[in-house]
Amino acid sequence: MENKLTLFKVIAGGPLKVTGPFRIKGRDGKIIEKEEPVLLCRCGHSSNKPFCDGSHKRNAFSE
Amino acid sequence: MSDPRNRQYTNGDITVFWIPSKCIHATTCFRDLIEVFNPGRRPWVNMEGAPTRRITEVVNKCPTQALIWKNNQDLTEEEQKAQRHVSSGEETPRSLSKPEDPTSIRIMRDGPIVVEGKFTIIGSDDQELRPTTMTSFCRCGSSLNMPYCDGTHRKINFTDQSNGNGE
Repeated sequence: MENKLTLFKVIAGGPLKVTGPFRIKGRDGKIIEKEEPVLLCRCGHSSNKPFCDGSHKRNAFSE
Repeated sequence: MSDPRNRQYTNGDITVFWIPSKCIHATTCFRDLIEVFNPGRRPWVNMEGAPTRRITEVVNKCPTQALIWKNNQDLTEEEQKAQRHVSSGEETPRSLSKPEDPTSIRIMRDGPIVVEGKFTIIGSDDQELRPTTMTSFCRCGSSLNMPYCDGTHRKINFTDQSNGNGE
């Protein structure tokens, strides 16, 4: 179980869910401390970017 | 005018130009044609990897024109001269960042989520997507190639100013 893969799950109409080992750097290049799982905004509307805040529901995000 | 990091590659028929400063890691080139565009290799562009028509098709999809192509008969004198230079010390889309263990996730300013490392992607239909070691996910909500970035964020002037601790 040592070499656990990082998993990116594309949630239909919603965010990108990340589990497993990872390191996130924000738009300013600084590391963001965050424990898994992380939900990354895909719809472009979150008020807490890069993370999901549920805005995709209000904006009826689909792909 | 020309950046010393720029490179050009030819198959005798066309020349592909690589302009690292314009690359936004849309990763369309190597998702579509790894036989030619392989950031894990040096030189990272292998013009023998596919027929000319395939190469031009994929280069035309580059959203930022970090990759462009020209027919060899249309090259300027300067460009013809540059053909003879060996591509040493070149940058690649991969070397623009530092691949790290664990998987690196980078939030590009007003752009995509760039991912590098060992990872699996499960699509919205629960099917595993094509394996890769580097890709970029759309963050603007408007890509026509979901879940991946296709450069649309530029067309719609996507901004990500409204940040929590991502700032």
